[in-house]
Amino acid sequence: MEGLFDYAPAIALFPLAAFVIALAFGPKLPKKGAIPGIVATAGSLALSLAMVAAVAGGEEGYYHTTLFTWAAGDAAGEVGEGIEFTFGILIDPLAALMLVIVSLIAFLVHVFSLEYMNAEGETGLPRYYAGLGLFTFSMLAFVYADNLLMAFMFFELVGLCSFLLIGFWFRTRSAPSAAKKAFLVTRFGDYFFLIGVVAIAATFGTLQFAGDDSFVAAAEAAIDDGGQLFGFDAETWVTITGLLVLGGVIGKSAQFPLHTWLPDAMEGPTTVSALIHAATMVAAGVYLVARMFGYYALSPTALAIIAFVGGFTALFAATMGVVKDDIKQVLAYSTISQYGYMMLGLGVGGYVAGVFHLMNHAFFKALLFLGAGAVIILMHHEQDMWKMGGLKNKAPVTYYTFLAGALALAGIIPFSGFWSKDEILYDALIVGTEQPLIMAAYAMGLLAVFFTGFYTFRMVFLTFHGEPRSDVAEDPHPVGWAVKFPLIALGVLAVVAGVANLAPVAKLTGLEIEFLNEWLSSGVEGTTYVAYTDALAAVYDTGYIGTESTTVLIAAGLSLLLAFSGAGLAWKLYNVPEPVAHKERLGSVRETIESNYYQDEYQVWLAEGLTLPLARAADRFDQTVIDGTVNGVSSVSLFGSDRVKRIQTGIVTNYAALIVTGFIALVIVLGVLGGWFL
Amino acid sequence: MMIEALLAVTLVGALVTFVAPNRIAGKLAFGISLIPAALSLWMFTAFDGSGNALLDGELAFESQFEWIQLGDYTISWLVGLDGISLPLVVLTTVLTSLAIMSSWTPIDERESQFYGLVLFIEANLIGVFTALDFFVWFIFWEAVLIPMYLLIGVWGGPRRKYAAIKFFVYTNVASLLMFGAFITLVFGLGDVTSFALPEIATAMLEGGPDGFAGLGGSALASVVFVAMFLGFAVKVPVVPFHTWLPDAHVEAPTPASVLLAGVLLKMGTYALLRFNFTMFPEQVEAYAIPIAAIAVISVIYGAMLALAQTDLKRIVAYSSVSSMGYVILGLVAYTQFGVGGATFQMVSHGLISGLMFMAVGVIYNATHTRMVTDMSGMADRMPVAVGILVAGAFGYMGLPLMSGFFGEFAIFFGAFGSGLLAYSQLFTSLAMFGIVIVAGYLLFALQRTVFGPYHLETDYDVGRAPLHDVAPMFVLLGIIIALGVAPELIFDMITDAVDPILENGGDA
Repeated sequence: MEGLFDYAPAIALFPLAAFVIALAFGPKLPKKGAIPGIVATAGSLALSLAMVAAVAGGEEGYYHTTLFTWAAGDAAGEVGEGIEFTFGILIDPLAALMLVIVSLIAFLVHVFSLEYMNAEGETGLPRYYAGLGLFTFSMLAFVYADNLLMAFMFFELVGLCSFLLIGFWFRTRSAPSAAKKAFLVTRFGDYFFLIGVVAIAATFGTLQFAGDDSFVAAAEAAIDDGGQLFGFDAETWVTITGLLVLGGVIGKSAQFPLHTWLPDAMEGPTTVSALIHAATMVAAGVYLVARMFGYYALSPTALAIIAFVGGFTALFAATMGVVKDDIKQVLAYSTISQYGYMMLGLGVGGYVAGVFHLMNHAFFKALLFLGAGAVIILMHHEQDMWKMGGLKNKAPVTYYTFLAGALALAGIIPFSGFWSKDEILYDALIVGTEQPLIMAAYAMGLLAVFFTGFYTFRMVFLTFHGEPRSDVAEDPHPVGWAVKFPLIALGVLAVVAGVANLAPVAKLTGLEIEFLNEWLSSGVEGTTYVAYTDALAAVYDTGYIGTESTTVLIAAGLSLLLAFSGAGLAWKLYNVPEPVAHKERLGSVRETIESNYYQDEYQVWLAEGLTLPLARAADRFDQTVIDGTVNGVSSVSLFGSDRVKRIQTGIVTNYAALIVTGFIALVIVLGVLGGWFL
Repeated sequence: MMIEALLAVTLVGALVTFVAPNRIAGKLAFGISLIPAALSLWMFTAFDGSGNALLDGELAFESQFEWIQLGDYTISWLVGLDGISLPLVVLTTVLTSLAIMSSWTPIDERESQFYGLVLFIEANLIGVFTALDFFVWFIFWEAVLIPMYLLIGVWGGPRRKYAAIKFFVYTNVASLLMFGAFITLVFGLGDVTSFALPEIATAMLEGGPDGFAGLGGSALASVVFVAMFLGFAVKVPVVPFHTWLPDAHVEAPTPASVLLAGVLLKMGTYALLRFNFTMFPEQVEAYAIPIAAIAVISVIYGAMLALAQTDLKRIVAYSSVSSMGYVILGLVAYTQFGVGGATFQMVSHGLISGLMFMAVGVIYNATHTRMVTDMSGMADRMPVAVGILVAGAFGYMGLPLMSGFFGEFAIFFGAFGSGLLAYSQLFTSLAMFGIVIVAGYLLFALQRTVFGPYHLETDYDVGRAPLHDVAPMFVLLGIIIALGVAPELIFDMITDAVDPILENGGDA
């Protein structure tokens, strides 16, 4: 089986080839570049599955190789030895799992695009498919990067691709603006990330994720030594650098306060949204935390901050989701909220829970976005839910698959989302019993379940139930197999993926059915679930409410109760033939929520109200003071030479007089200096 | 004699072009320019030098003979290449060829004189990067100014006279300061009998000057260091000596801008590296903090100025000030990655800024305006040219797998852990904020000009750019990506030449 690993580079290179083909020959190809993209991502998917088999069947359980050295030289700073910046591949259980998720979603999005994009007589399709190919390439290379610098590089390329695809409809005003915002906001996060990369490299002389010469191992050794790093004690320095890297995560994974780009990013084609939200851009941030989890496990402060940011974002975004009228906007805020859960899970040490939710979310969020894409086809490009209604019977495949995704998103048992969200909340609860701050994060995460249930089913009822509220909803456009196939595939996954880790069932019955736990327990020493559990034991105390079983039941019961309450309230308000908005019931907070807590306003003000005027002031200063001085010096010398010019009269006697005067003056000066007159 | 051949071919080519008929001058000059380009690429593959040209390194293609005896001092013809100068020579020859092709569309009067001057600049630039005797070097250094002055003053925009004179006088005054300082230093070095830079460097590192004109040895060294730094600072340019640059760029025709940003600015940083940072390690250490402060101010202030502009060329011009600030930061870090990254960044910025000026030029050729407010949606009409502009802009923002990222990353990494520069982590983190601002102003500019619904204030039909406009940009983009994927292509030879410098100072 391990011979398969030799083909690992092709996983990312296939989509790169598709990118090149679409860019170079796209306009001449029958489907404008769709076919190479489908073939390439299918190839990536097949190879990724082969990697899973190879990881499972191999003796070592992982694959790590260095492809080539990007640059090498002396390391300055704390290490003072050589450093090599390399490109390498690390395929361990975590990476193999993520490779499958990414290539599967990318493949399905390509198929879906055949109908969503090609059928509409869209221009610029080669550019679209080239973008998808580059996007998939960047993300896959990011996933199997074996070091932090390579990860950063492809992280940035992922950002570029989302810029290109969010701005796909560049002839509008809104899409380029949204694309710019997405890149700029995430770049702001990546600024901190890059400082973190530079700092970690300068501190430890290596950027490897795994193994004995990894920065994680070096950091652990440094903390054990108890020495100073850049003037801080080792653990503080690990916290600082870890949080710097986290800046990039907060940007890409759209966590508070850098979440503002994501709702705007809905300007891109819905297929792109599916890819960005489920498997690439946004997933990249959380994946990075999982990838270098060993590093964060060394710093309780960093973990607590991750947990708190995650819990807060989960609640914060969920409350905004309840008042949105555009189906894609609801999904956008749900994405922010769901990634908050993953951060919460990772922050409380629930490594498996976080990864589990990352996987489940990838399936059900891709499903929901593609489902929304199907609805948009049905509705002839109408996205306002108030113009929909009654689509349930007219498009049963879309309805039932969308419903499966919605049940998973809302966390209703036994759909996939329930199991992973419950595991996150359980992990948060047992840590929270010992630490008040984490308890607060848990409480926010729990409360968000209610809002999630509410906005999810508000969306379902408004879109599919009741009476049609517009002419197009009466007579929707039919959808074909290229739409239905991805929906069904993802629909099945949204229903059954939870089987991967039925943690509460395992805890209550003692059955060994926590397959994902098992899967993530092998791999490179030090980067396994087991190693993390050991490391975390030193960081977090855990406690139960009563026994383990009662705690499991309390956690699951509470989250189910809230999910059903939210869904039930949506049922009562919106599952009626002619629903109304009910927004007036929000009272005084309505305006705040509808304005998304004024987050956009202050960030736009920072850019346009503060930075731009500052730049203009600098420009005025530059032109008046600095350049003014330069021109002033030149005027003075021109003026001076003009005056000096006047002694050039052209009259010989004047010159003679000047020469004689000058000579006498010179003699006198020399005489004084030489002491002749003494 | 390869370097002599390189210089001779280019100079003769310049003369031939000068007297050729206008009709064929562009094609002829391009054909001629391919010879030095090919020669320098061959020299790149055949390069067998090692070490630093000034510090007992093995020079490649060295040749030396005595030229003039001036009292006790000998002036010799001494040329040669090391790992620092060779990439800059290749940059010069390749960029000149491409700049010539990009002139075919916009230059439509006095072609033979124009292209002759471009080749004349090329020859002098090669001279600057190969000469290792101060007098010979200084002749080339000054001779670059004259053709550039003419290119701006004759073929430039409406305010060309003002810009050309400002450029000429400003940089010339700076050269004078530098020249005076250096000659003073040579006189102060007791036992030096020539102007050969290696001999002077050795004397500086083995004891320094005895004193001259009433100044003691170390005071003289400090005065000369500061004076030379200021002289080169104008050329780079660093804030606050930068105001000639945007004026010169805005008025210069596209190919002159390409060469100005691509190569002429690197003369300043190259000279800083060769003189200040090689010969004066003690002064570098003593003045590290003010130099780093100037670097950070150049990065941030230059980027802020770019943000305020509405003329595409002015945006790119100010962004050069910002990018050259990184180079200064890398130099003052005095680590292998810092100085090596700075040298890499010189090449990389030459390629990327050249690409950006070409792309802006292609748009200007079609629209006859460069104002951000005058156009939108150009991607609709010029998809290929705009595609390259967008790629170039991302290169400028330091997108990974393009050369700019490596240059900046190496500088940041080298500067962060610098042992010579106090507060280096703070300086580095501040300078790095430039990567956010650069994304801000370039994306704003792109959003307004190339995206959105098509609109043009000026009365021209905009169609696809001709092949000879976009071909040079494709070549540049290819090189930028190649160096971004495999920076070792030149970084190895650079660090090989940088290491001997650091043995005398820095800590890495």
